[in-house]
Amino acid sequence: MVPVQWYLLLAAAVFCIGLFGILTRQNALLFLMSVELMLNAANINLVAFSAYWGNVTGQTFSLFTMALAAAEVAVGIGIILVLYRNFNDVDVTLAKEMRW
Amino acid sequence: MAAFDYAPAIVLLPFLSFLVSLGGGKYLPKGGAFGGIAASAGSLVLSAWVFLTVAGGEVYNETLYTWAAGAGEETVSLTFGLLLDPLAAMMLLIVSLVSLLVHVFSLGYMNDEGETGLPRYYAGLGLFTASMLGFVVADNLLMAFMFFELVGLCSYLLIGFWFRQEGPPSAAKKAFLVTRFGDYFFLVGVVAVFATFGTAKFAGEGAFPVLAEEALNGAAEVTTFGFAPETWFTIVGLLILGGVIGKSAQFPLHTWLPDAMEGPTPVSALIHAATMVAAGVYLVARMYGFYALSPTALGIIALVGGFTALVAATMGVVKREIKQVLAYSTISQYGYMMLGLGAGGYVAATFHLMTHAFFKALLFLGAGSVIIAMHHDEDMWNMGGLKEKMPVTYYTFLAGSLALAGIFPFAGFWSKDEVLYETLIHGLGGSPLLLAGYAMGLVAVFFTGFYTFRMVFLTFHGEPRTDIARDPHGVRWNVKGPLVVLGILAATVGVVNMVPVEKLLGITGIDFLHQWLDGGFEALTAHHYGDVLPYSSAYIGGETTTVAVGAAVSLGLALAGVITAHVLYNVSDPDEHTEKLGAIKTLWYNNYYQDEYQVWLAESVVLPVARLADKFDQGVVDGVVNGVSSVSLFAGSRIRRVQTGVVTNYAALLTLGLVALLVVFGVMGGWFA
Repeated sequence: MVPVQWYLLLAAAVFCIGLFGILTRQNALLFLMSVELMLNAANINLVAFSAYWGNVTGQTFSLFTMALAAAEVAVGIGIILVLYRNFNDVDVTLAKEMRW
Repeated sequence: MAAFDYAPAIVLLPFLSFLVSLGGGKYLPKGGAFGGIAASAGSLVLSAWVFLTVAGGEVYNETLYTWAAGAGEETVSLTFGLLLDPLAAMMLLIVSLVSLLVHVFSLGYMNDEGETGLPRYYAGLGLFTASMLGFVVADNLLMAFMFFELVGLCSYLLIGFWFRQEGPPSAAKKAFLVTRFGDYFFLVGVVAVFATFGTAKFAGEGAFPVLAEEALNGAAEVTTFGFAPETWFTIVGLLILGGVIGKSAQFPLHTWLPDAMEGPTPVSALIHAATMVAAGVYLVARMYGFYALSPTALGIIALVGGFTALVAATMGVVKREIKQVLAYSTISQYGYMMLGLGAGGYVAATFHLMTHAFFKALLFLGAGSVIIAMHHDEDMWNMGGLKEKMPVTYYTFLAGSLALAGIFPFAGFWSKDEVLYETLIHGLGGSPLLLAGYAMGLVAVFFTGFYTFRMVFLTFHGEPRTDIARDPHGVRWNVKGPLVVLGILAATVGVVNMVPVEKLLGITGIDFLHQWLDGGFEALTAHHYGDVLPYSSAYIGGETTTVAVGAAVSLGLALAGVITAHVLYNVSDPDEHTEKLGAIKTLWYNNYYQDEYQVWLAESVVLPVARLADKFDQGVVDGVVNGVSSVSLFAGSRIRRVQTGVVTNYAALLTLGLVALLVVFGVMGGWFA
């Protein structure tokens, strides 16, 4: 059996890739993908700990997270569509009216 | 006891008349005059009933309503209550009688002359009567203060009755402000009394004069804020005296009273002669047990009184207008009362308060009658020879003048003589200050006799000097009636206290007022005050001789004044004669430049100080507040730039925050150790 540390390292790596995407990209679609990566990093953790403790609660929870992620994508795509309609682009740095 | 159950109605009846006149006066006949007459007549009847009950030996001192109850220990309750003792009963009778007569007189002075705004006038009279009566029956200092202020308000409203003219509103404002100035001290004094004694009741168990006396004996403990009890009581007494000096028109706050003559003449009679001005003196008499404990306060009262009596009398000598002469005589006479109180002559001063109320109301109403006859011309130099044309006014006015000048046997003689006598014997008993007051009082007697009869001769004697004086307007019963009643009183009321006769002829038991004021609550009796007072008496060759000499000197001086006036002015075509006085005439005519001095004080001293205070407020106090807020504003305007609107930046900040948290947890949790 693979030790739980490897799973955690994998999850941390996936999370950092997602974070890197969010901090460096300007494309809203890439944003959405990066967020999905971070979400799934959390899922990996849940499942890994669930297997480690022999408790299915974590796995059940990760199912909910996936459903949530699906809903989130629906909303996110909607936002991106509106963004495109207003700015003719999906660049997130264009929409900065809501500031001081 | 029944009379005391109805006693609140004495105050409430005129108040009711105030409400009726104010609300429905224009629908009533005579502008609400009859309501006022009925109310003051009702008050008079009830006062007489109370008077008779008090004469039967009963007194009343009850709290009727607590409008702010104290909770816990060491607190004070603020209450309304009635104190009906001989002094209050006597004053009730005087105020309600004078008020009734003034209401009747107003029918002639206001209604018959076709004045407008009568409901307002009668409402003012009603409210004034109610507040003065409320002041008289007040059983504690705070209630007295509240009614004292109401009286001042009514004075303002009535002086400014003819508010469309130029003079009255400004006179009303002046009266209000000047008396207010004194009342600030009074208010501080009331608070000081509460803080010191925890009560402001005049009489009964634990009343503040009683507590003060016990504190001086060491029998009770009061809060004196680090002062010796005697010093502190003097300070408190002088604070309250501020209100008295303002209201009773004593130097240096007397300047409002002559201006107040801008009001209708019946108002002058009621307010500025017989009752409101009496409020100050009455207050001192009411809490005399407190003042008697402080020789310093008494000395100041006596000196202020004597000085005012003299100064005001000299100013009255050169005035041209009949009401002005009366105004200065009022100030002067109240000076005598203060002198009497300060000199330990409690009964004498109260006696003078009573006789003065009658003869000064009479003189003002007489002057009102003359003013009606002269078509509202008040200049005495336009009068003359009115004696034949208006005999009732003349003879009653003469009775009042004789009383004012202090000629035997009219009322003023007895009371003024007793004031001077008390001052003299206590002065001889080792108080040189009182002798100074006595000397000023004596000189003022001469001037009083002079200006009074100058006024009488100029108004009624000689040849008429104008066409109006040749054919004066007639007056009706409603003017003559009150004059006759007051004329009889002014001539005869002295019999209630013929102390000189008693002492000279050895008839005992005719000093009725002394006996009257010896009744009631033990701590409020004249002989108790006599025990407390710091004075001792001495005589010039025996008591009888002193009485005779004192009476002879004051009567002689008064007669000298009258004779001087007779020689100078009782001729068919008198000259002014005032030019002979030279510079003094100008000084007197301008009232010793007191008004100018006070205006100067306000403009050159108080105004710059106020400007400085304003600068301090605007600059330093507001500066600190504005400085603090501008720091916040500046900081806010910089820190808000964190909100860039760029989503990536927020994400970066979130990440940074997370990392910072992790680092903190790590360090705290010892992960790097």
